[in-house]
Amino acid sequence: MTLQQSALPTTMAAARPASRRDKSRLYQEMSMLAPAVILLTIFLIVPFLLSFWTAMTNQPLVPRPTPVRFVGFNNFLRILRDDLFWTSLWNVSRFTFWILPVQCGLAFATALLLHQKLPFRNFFRGLFFLPAITSMVVVCVIWGTLFQYPTGPLNQVIGFVSGGSIRPIDWLGDPDWAMFSIVLLSAWQAYGFQMIVYLAGLQGIPDELYDAARIDGANALQRFWHVTMPGLRPTHVFVLVITTIQAFKLYTQVAILTQGGPKSSTETVVHYMVRSGFEEQKLGHASAVSVILFLIVLVIALLQRQLLRRYDV
Amino acid sequence: MGKRLLSLLMASAALSGFAEAKTVIHVMHQGDPGWVATYGDVAKRFEAANPDVDIELIYAPHDAYNEKFSAAVMSRQLPDIMELDAPFLANYVWSGYLQPIKLLIDQDVLDDMTESNIAQGTYPVDKDLYAVGLTDSSVVLYGNRKYLEAIGARIPTSVDDAWTREEFEGYLEKLSKLEGVKWPIDTFRGYGIKTEWITYAYGPILQSAGCDLIDRKTWKSVGTLDSDACVDALSMMQTWIKNGWVVPQSSGTNQFFAEGHPAALALGGHWFYAEAAASMKDDVVVMPLPKFGPKGVSPNGTWIWGITTASEHPEIAGKFISFMLKDKQFRDYARDDSAYPGLKSFAADSPLYDDGGPMAVAFEQASKTAVARPPHPAYPIITSAFMGAVDEIFNGGDVKAALTAAAEKIDEDIDENDGYPPFDEQP
Repeated sequence: MTLQQSALPTTMAAARPASRRDKSRLYQEMSMLAPAVILLTIFLIVPFLLSFWTAMTNQPLVPRPTPVRFVGFNNFLRILRDDLFWTSLWNVSRFTFWILPVQCGLAFATALLLHQKLPFRNFFRGLFFLPAITSMVVVCVIWGTLFQYPTGPLNQVIGFVSGGSIRPIDWLGDPDWAMFSIVLLSAWQAYGFQMIVYLAGLQGIPDELYDAARIDGANALQRFWHVTMPGLRPTHVFVLVITTIQAFKLYTQVAILTQGGPKSSTETVVHYMVRSGFEEQKLGHASAVSVILFLIVLVIALLQRQLLRRYDV
Repeated sequence: MGKRLLSLLMASAALSGFAEAKTVIHVMHQGDPGWVATYGDVAKRFEAANPDVDIELIYAPHDAYNEKFSAAVMSRQLPDIMELDAPFLANYVWSGYLQPIKLLIDQDVLDDMTESNIAQGTYPVDKDLYAVGLTDSSVVLYGNRKYLEAIGARIPTSVDDAWTREEFEGYLEKLSKLEGVKWPIDTFRGYGIKTEWITYAYGPILQSAGCDLIDRKTWKSVGTLDSDACVDALSMMQTWIKNGWVVPQSSGTNQFFAEGHPAALALGGHWFYAEAAASMKDDVVVMPLPKFGPKGVSPNGTWIWGITTASEHPEIAGKFISFMLKDKQFRDYARDDSAYPGLKSFAADSPLYDDGGPMAVAFEQASKTAVARPPHPAYPIITSAFMGAVDEIFNGGDVKAALTAAAEKIDEDIDENDGYPPFDEQP
């Protein structure tokens, strides 16, 4: 953004008869841009073009005796006709829809709590952040045990608290529950990051605003709605964007705990892509999925940019 | 500084020069910790006997083995020796990664192989041998003696008098009403939904019912996997699950011998015997797989050893495989692990599988009912599509629709690969 703006005067200057000074400035700018442009080209643009090209072929994962052919948009058509792809897209949307309130709500609540002047505040901040620095793989193995059916710890607690009136839940084995269970453990693992972001946001709100509100006679709830919330607006938007993008990349939890089942209820786009690329060894097909996923994320990113602009962040 | 760097370079050059004097054989394998340690010990003994050879073991976890192998191919780091799951042999040979091993393995080992072992290592196109193993595998029906006696079930003693489908389903129903039985049968859904177990253990039920994953002459799946016989067989399994007769996926894989013995029967691999017998002693009954149709069918095939085309020292690689298969401590470990014999001399040495041994029925299946999984290069897709269909069906999905989708997926892949020549030439 800032780069474009600062480049504007130079272009206008270039419209005038080019003086020697302008030329050397142009070289200077170009040479400063070059490292970024070269790196972006090598690591982003070329791989994307390559995967787009691969998506147009029947490239297998490992070399095969049969020739690799150009198949046009066949892979894309096949994906769009595949019910499993649409199921996985629907599942990821469901996951995002659930994880946003659960994870961000949890993070916001703990951040508000830990922003108070509590004893051992820093200790608790560290404690609440602990899951976020624990490997997702480890978290999955632990939660897999907690979720066991019918005699896992979670079911035993529920049975004890409800006096046995709630029947054990098959957390990961019931198509109606599996995605929700994944949401629970994902939110628990990852909310620490959002919590830190919220804490930073809270600390960024000047104390003078609270003091002024107090002088005006605002109570705690009013201070929250009229000082804290507006002060956190950019933080909210940032957390929303980050969490949505994270949610669309859902893979690890599914690969370890449910492998996309039961009844494809936890199949995600990334898991679908990895399976078609590695398990079924169809690299062309998998590349086509990655291109589609890229387009979806691009659309979401553009929509969220609009949102950012509206809030003038 | 510069001096230090230089001496470091010289030292590393000297080291690599030193290593060059030895022939390095890379061996890629999978296995649980006990086996991994055993492979390590065999390698040490081989190195002691052949001081000029260095055996380097590369471990890859079982569930991601094919992915790891693909990665090795892509990065041109194929090992000399690779352990492979038998049904994937056709894919590897067709793709050009394995070489025939008849001339590389000791003749006495080759003469010692059981027919099922030869079958699992043979590529159907040239009928040549590409891999060899000490072991083979099978699936049997384990029963809890107390429960079976309580319902007055007939206990078959040989493959020929296996339970029929009617008998089997009748017993399941009776067991479901028996005190102490929470689930009449464990089919080991706990292994997961994307595991070779699905195709390995449930495939034979289809073949017994009179259909298959794919037609083995025309190599077309539509018309076979979605045929009435297959729809009927999987509807039968779906009904068991709907009735609550099968241990659910999230209840683990130990319900047969767990506290209180909640599962009465177990459709389990031969490797399950050691665990079950350790806990239940003589209460474990080993029975042949039921006949779901005209004939009984049992699976076979296991992890076997092949030599890749990338190996620069195939003779030494062959020497190592022969050494390992004849190694006494290796065989002792395999026997204690209740490994299923793939070599005749190993069978004679395994009281478990010998005539009158508790697993004799399992070994009898190898020569009477064993059917290999389809030896076709499209096997990765065949098994993946079938796993997807089984997940759908076991969770209440439409059987016919799930099987049709899987069959179409398989045929689509075969078409895309021009029929995997020469598999497209019909015999």
